[in-house]
Amino acid sequence: MANLIALPLLVILSVFQTAIVNRLPLLHGTADLILLTLAAWSLHERVTSVWFWVLLGGVLVSYASATPFFAPLIGYVVMTVIARLLRRRVWQTPILAMILITFLGTFIQHGLYMGALFIRGVTFNWRESLNLITLPSLLLNILLAIPVYAVISTLAEWVYPGELEI
Amino acid sequence: MNRLNSRSLRLAVLVIFIVGLLLLALGGYLTPLFRLTLNPIITVEAWLSSRYLAIHDMITVPKDVARLQQRNAELESQVTQLQAQVIELQQRISEAQVLYALLDFARSRPDNQYVAASVIGRDTNPFISYILIDQGSDAGLRHGMPVVTNQGLVGRIDAVTAGGARVQLVTDSASVVNVRLQSTQVEASMTASVTGELALQMVPTSASLSVGDVILTSGLGGSYPANIFIGQISSVRKRESDLSQTAIVQSVVDFVGLKAVLVITNFKPVDLNPLIPTPAK
Repeated sequence: MANLIALPLLVILSVFQTAIVNRLPLLHGTADLILLTLAAWSLHERVTSVWFWVLLGGVLVSYASATPFFAPLIGYVVMTVIARLLRRRVWQTPILAMILITFLGTFIQHGLYMGALFIRGVTFNWRESLNLITLPSLLLNILLAIPVYAVISTLAEWVYPGELEI
Repeated sequence: MNRLNSRSLRLAVLVIFIVGLLLLALGGYLTPLFRLTLNPIITVEAWLSSRYLAIHDMITVPKDVARLQQRNAELESQVTQLQAQVIELQQRISEAQVLYALLDFARSRPDNQYVAASVIGRDTNPFISYILIDQGSDAGLRHGMPVVTNQGLVGRIDAVTAGGARVQLVTDSASVVNVRLQSTQVEASMTASVTGELALQMVPTSASLSVGDVILTSGLGGSYPANIFIGQISSVRKRESDLSQTAIVQSVVDFVGLKAVLVITNFKPVDLNPLIPTPAK
């Protein structure tokens, strides 16, 4: 069930991301809906089908983007590993965990993007990139983290219903 | 005989009385009398009529209110539909204006063949500047084809699928465009920063650069056709100790609000990679 809904949901989110979200930048930074969705999904305690979602999200983003294939995928995988580790430790405060994962995920993803540019031989100003791209993206991601978490949590509870206590 | 006379007399008196009354009425002599007698009647009738209408309204108005509310809802629905139509038509006008501008541009350069495409998305990675367009190899688009608007150079095709393509903008940090200044014919390479700022790099200090100089593609390198408008120099960075100077270029294309583009399909980019010598191992 979880894997079945992953494809349409992540495809719709990818389309929404490229068609709308990327056209609404703050300075030069943009929010990453796929990252937020995967973070929220990974943090949910009952969710077991995580890696398929991560793989699919990474492939979809890589397919539409000119970024080297490995960068988004590795970023999502690393973020998910941290989210799963964090889930076991601070699961009582999922909102805090979501914000922390969003913070780390954004930096990891942008670090990989910058690494990919560096490998391609593109010279760029680190401070300018941080101030004009990464920090605005982080702010947008943190602003969207709570609503995305709420929606994805509802979805996760629908997909993985809890056991009734009699 | 007496009875007959008596009847005739009564009739005559009656006629005279009626005629007299009529004459008095027509002459206006009975108006005060009429007023005195009719006013109470009119007052009573008015009171009765107003009470009747109040009762009638009390009974019938709820039906009217319901009907009016229904009608109001219908009209509001119509207004909403019309507003939606107005917005749609305004959007079509906006699209049509863009397409007319592109058409004018295409007509002004009849030697080129164009395919018009709409911009449908932007790259997820904020460090690079790519757009997605809704025409692909089915429309004859190939890798490397230049992309322009009526304002100037946009970029070139980076990847193609059957129904779509990805365009590397000239504002992408990995993009290099060989350009020349229209006024002095000085040639240079134009690159971009990760934030999309265009700059002419490594221009010899002997070359004269000034604010407002028009930048065109030079055609060198075979990546872009020559003489496509790019923008103007907005500032020059030149220091005495430097071996070269740098100029910031203000592009004429609004890359943020890009809606439609033209792909030049009869230009075949030259791949210089085989000609570039590789270091011997």
